[in-house]
Amino acid sequence: MNLSITSLSYRYPGATEPALADISCEVGAGECVCFTGDSGCGKSTLLLAIKGALRGGSRVGSIEIPPHAGDGRIPVGIVFQNAESQIVCTTAGEEVAFAPENLCIPREEIAERVALALRAVGLEGCQKRNVDRFSAGQKQRLAIASVLSANPGILLLDEPSSQLDRRSKEELRDTLGWLKREGYIIVLAEHDILPFAGIIDRYFVMERGKIVSVLSMPPAPRAANRSFPARLEHGGAPVLTVRGLHLGYPETGAVLNGVDLTVGEGERVHLLGDNGAGKSTLFRALCGLARPDLGTVELAGIGKPVPERLAGKVGVLFQNPTRQLFAESVQEEVSFTLKREGRPLREIDGLVAEALAHCRIAHLAGRTPLTLSFGEQHRVALASVLAGRPRLLLLDEPFAGLDMAQRGELLEILGELPARFGTSVLIASHDRLPVPGWADRELILKDGRVTDARG
Amino acid sequence: MRAAEMNIRRFRTSDYACQFMTHDSPIHRLGPGTKLAAGTALSACAIAVRTPEQLLVLLAVALGCFFLARLTPYDLWRDTRVLVFLGVAVTAAYCALHGASDFWPGVRTSTQIILFYLPGAVFLRTTRTSEVMTGFSRVIPYRISFLLFVSVRFVPFFLRELEEISAAQRLRGAKIRLRDQADPRNWCDLFHCLVVPLMVRALKTAEELSRSAESRGFGECEQRSYAGIAGLRVAAKR
Repeated sequence: MNLSITSLSYRYPGATEPALADISCEVGAGECVCFTGDSGCGKSTLLLAIKGALRGGSRVGSIEIPPHAGDGRIPVGIVFQNAESQIVCTTAGEEVAFAPENLCIPREEIAERVALALRAVGLEGCQKRNVDRFSAGQKQRLAIASVLSANPGILLLDEPSSQLDRRSKEELRDTLGWLKREGYIIVLAEHDILPFAGIIDRYFVMERGKIVSVLSMPPAPRAANRSFPARLEHGGAPVLTVRGLHLGYPETGAVLNGVDLTVGEGERVHLLGDNGAGKSTLFRALCGLARPDLGTVELAGIGKPVPERLAGKVGVLFQNPTRQLFAESVQEEVSFTLKREGRPLREIDGLVAEALAHCRIAHLAGRTPLTLSFGEQHRVALASVLAGRPRLLLLDEPFAGLDMAQRGELLEILGELPARFGTSVLIASHDRLPVPGWADRELILKDGRVTDARG
Repeated sequence: MRAAEMNIRRFRTSDYACQFMTHDSPIHRLGPGTKLAAGTALSACAIAVRTPEQLLVLLAVALGCFFLARLTPYDLWRDTRVLVFLGVAVTAAYCALHGASDFWPGVRTSTQIILFYLPGAVFLRTTRTSEVMTGFSRVIPYRISFLLFVSVRFVPFFLRELEEISAAQRLRGAKIRLRDQADPRNWCDLFHCLVVPLMVRALKTAEELSRSAESRGFGECEQRSYAGIAGLRVAAKR
């Protein structure tokens, strides 16, 4: 029996445009399909519709799913984007037992299901492990196991790879490949399709709630076609100098093991590192948020930096920068740092207008940041750290949650910074940049050390 | 100095205060109801004690339970460090208000605060989600027991969020450090830059969590079964 969607349309309550428009498709057992497209194209809404989790709104069309084969199962399992916030319990075993417990399954059967589900995702023997100690990839696989234990026939995954590095994506692909061979119907909603290309049978490309094409090969990434201003000649003093930086934790051992790093004025640098390689720890040490065991940091002319001294001189965007937003308007949000620096009002207005224009969100100046889409919020957070024309901009995993077009636009904005403001840019991410050639230098953080990617 | 710091870091055994530790110990093996009752009794005693001897005995019992649970001195420091600083401030305030003669009442009050809290820390560090939910569900509907436990379970998550938000806002120039709060003009930063984003995160996380729980059948049946950790262990051995 197939998953069959016929002429499905859906409009959220109060929305003027439909989120889904005339969607029709059929997916058979053992098939893996991927709905792809820019943010807001309707792929997550479609997964919620298949799951039957849309509340209110107006819906037409039909979704037929394979009927229940016996009690004690949830026919459609869904794994949401953020594994961290869907893990309810403290240990892996309890987490996987959560669904069958909800279905009132007898104890002995729950134990069997837990063991099978953990084995399916390669986490056998982890029943007693504290989930806090799991890597991002393990958490994602645990989230899948916690759905598999309800014996679904259909598995929906909403952007499962957004938090994962290359190795974790490969592990996830292998897990999904195994599930596919076991006869599961797998439906992915994903921007980053290349890691799963080996297991995806069909690609449904969506735009504005509609399926615009169905492909058997992955669509070409659009971000790669962008151009950037030529790199500057770097003659000035370095804006960042790190020498022999060591930092360790007992639970992970040494994270930074003698990092040496220099970023010149107006330089664009990309630092590549897997999950857990220490990128965030390095950034925290650079900003004075984590005290290194050994080594020195000089940032924007400040030795032993502390956060309060860096405001306005160094811009920092951590993972999910949207959580720093609080103001009632975008204008207010972007002017915050400038006001705290005590700059004159007229200067503030000019700098805010410049930052908004540079980030291409001048039209949002009067809007409330918290009502904007994720991509727009991301841009507001960027403008808020750029307004003071910092000498260095540090970005930790800035592409998480952005679609390919947004990633390309972000790189375009960042690429112009050295020429316009002389700002150096250091991006840390677990993926290669969506636009090859953007960075003046590619570095790799591995085994606690930074090395040049060219060797 | 640096070498000493590196040595201290080697002793870190938990990532945050009150983190559940997957050891096997006599305290871990006690039922959640027993632990809750004993903990409540110990906390009540912490309020009642008056003499140094009583305080010492209670301190010995509380620490005995803590270390019997195979928790480490570092865990103890993680769990109580805020209270230790608070205790120093309380004792200093006593002495400042009433002179050196009030040193002992200051120490007693500070120690009582720590002793009141410590059994709760032991409970959280030694009790699994499912055990607590099973225990609570005997006396209250399982939906409410879930709500209660998830509220507690996500406290460390929100503490980490708070730390992340605080770091980002300090780098934007927000005056939110403890020492900044001596100036009342900075209090609005504390609200706008910390409380508002944290509330937004809390609401978003609650929505994601409830969506995840619902999608896994939570609330579908009137009753709920409990596998229990022993049941899971049996399957793991097969």
